[in-house]
Amino acid sequence: MATATHEATLPRGVGRLTRGWVIFILAMVAVCVLGWVAYIREFSEGMTVTGMRNVGTMGGATWGLYITFVVYFVGVSFAGITIAAVIRLFNLERLRPIARMAEVMTVVSLILGAIAIVADLGQPFRGIVNLFRYARPQSPFFGTFTMVIAGYLFASLVYLWISSRRDAALLAKQPSRLHWIHRLVAAGYTDTPAERERQSRATFWMAVSILPMLVVATSTLGFVFGLQGGRPGWYSALQAPAFVVLAGLSGTGLLIVLAAIVRKSLPRDVGLNQYVFGWLGRVMMLLLFVYVYFMVTEVLTATYAGVDRDQQVTREMLWGEYSWIFWSAVILLVLPLASLVFQALRRRWNVSWLVAAGIAVNLGAIGKRYLIAVPSQTHGQLLPYPEGSYSPSWVEFAVVASLVAFGALVIGVFMKVLPIVEIEDEEVSHA
Amino acid sequence: MVKYAMAVDLDRCQGCRGCMEACKIENNTVESVFWMHVFRLESGEYPDTKMSFLPRPCQHCDNAPCVKVCPVGARFKREDGLVLTDADRCIGCRYCELACPYGVNYFNWAKPEKRQYLDYDHPDVERVTGGVIPPYKNPDLDLLYGEEQRLTAGGGHFKGVMEKCTFCVHRLDKGLDPACVDTCPVQALIFGDLEDPSSGIAEMINDRTHFRLLEEVGTEPSVLYFGGAAPTEDSREIETVKARV
Repeated sequence: MATATHEATLPRGVGRLTRGWVIFILAMVAVCVLGWVAYIREFSEGMTVTGMRNVGTMGGATWGLYITFVVYFVGVSFAGITIAAVIRLFNLERLRPIARMAEVMTVVSLILGAIAIVADLGQPFRGIVNLFRYARPQSPFFGTFTMVIAGYLFASLVYLWISSRRDAALLAKQPSRLHWIHRLVAAGYTDTPAERERQSRATFWMAVSILPMLVVATSTLGFVFGLQGGRPGWYSALQAPAFVVLAGLSGTGLLIVLAAIVRKSLPRDVGLNQYVFGWLGRVMMLLLFVYVYFMVTEVLTATYAGVDRDQQVTREMLWGEYSWIFWSAVILLVLPLASLVFQALRRRWNVSWLVAAGIAVNLGAIGKRYLIAVPSQTHGQLLPYPEGSYSPSWVEFAVVASLVAFGALVIGVFMKVLPIVEIEDEEVSHA
Repeated sequence: MVKYAMAVDLDRCQGCRGCMEACKIENNTVESVFWMHVFRLESGEYPDTKMSFLPRPCQHCDNAPCVKVCPVGARFKREDGLVLTDADRCIGCRYCELACPYGVNYFNWAKPEKRQYLDYDHPDVERVTGGVIPPYKNPDLDLLYGEEQRLTAGGGHFKGVMEKCTFCVHRLDKGLDPACVDTCPVQALIFGDLEDPSSGIAEMINDRTHFRLLEEVGTEPSVLYFGGAAPTEDSREIETVKARV
């Protein structure tokens, strides 16, 4: 087959459908379908099919797993574009292989965050219109809905597109089934020196403008919780900074996992070496130090100086109903930290251990997000309501699982359409 | 300018919960929703226990945290002091509920028709009603009220929107008091205009001391409590409203 031989020459496995990839995609589609079934049920029956209920007399939590994952997804997106922008701004050439996948991760997780918000709305269609039509900047949610989803997602998409144009133009020089997509993405770019210069300037200024924007955007998510004086356990100046740090932490962890998968799945070495993983490991280690420090100060303040209801929420978190989540999260954050410190001291980075640490901090981050959202609702009543309880229903689990699967699906498809690792100059001259 | 407020005389309240019932009938709220809730509280250790009652409508705060956080302006403060929800605009994000320290917000988790106390299509119910009594709906609740002309009165409009006590905005429009106030058999609830010196509530403020719930949160509630005492950390509900659906 003529096309097959041509496609075999496309770098980075683009356009080549392996058996493992097809099975993976089908599995992800199956999970997505399950999520749709669950969501259609939620949409037609109302949110009564979720485990969420009103706080107060109904004794429930009104924000649950969906908001936990909104916060988690937006957090993951934070690290991706930060690392991509830092690589661009400081010209960290040896880290370039992870730039593209970091950008893709940002865009995908932001889309997932947006979908998770819509899944959490009682009136989703109204939400999509009214959030823009009647937007109120006074609401801390304005930052999440309007700035994060609209502004930050748009900026990340543009950044991803601009930085992909060159690769698309190079791929478009070769005939393949995906030729039209590559031409479309390249959009007239032909990689002349003048164009390359302009491209470089554009990505530089985009990176400069994205960096402050995403700190603000992720902080607003912390403000959603941190500005609420009437909900014990939420009102804290530390919320926003802790959100940003945990965001960077989970994102870096996920990026390590993604880089390891890409390294395994690509036919030849693409520069994802010890240096890259070591750099990511060190970033994760630093963020872990800061976050563990934040956690200690947070718990200390709440147990030592907190007023009654704050103390009750903290007690419930440390020793009560939520203690298994809290202490699991602590273990999932502290053990990776120990392993990272050990590897840093030895100056040797083991990819398997790094991947394990990456997965662990992500699970820990999800647990911490859950603990920020839920206990303050079930045990943080200022009036003498009885204690509440919340456990997610299968609908919520299915929707969240399908969101994760959808993200994996999009990244999987992206890998086959455009190179997930940037094409280097010498490869171009070979071709 | 009118400035509505509610006074609750805790020395009079006997915890009969008639106001809760009146509210439900007036506003057609669905199962397990209590816009007016009366805490029946106990404090102290046996044998030195004390019992008290605490009616809790929406506090219609002047510095309402729910209004501040609403991302679409569905929850708003009217000039006459009412804090209302526009059921036509609410997107169901439930942020107001989390911002509110009083726990007065109730979300329509399911279709309101499916959360009636009686299933009117059930054969046993139909045998009694003969199919002639439809589920009662207060026709006033579908009208638009206030300068803003928004859909704010009553409950059970749509699934997936937030609802709460409105101080019976549709009754105020006709010059009536809220349903809970009119029902109270011992006049423990008094409603009126703070700006009108001849109103019962203004006189009460002159004659007696009052407190407001959770003053430390800075919400500036429009519900004033006379007599009795605010619940303490020691207060616990004697029997809770079984309200989980």
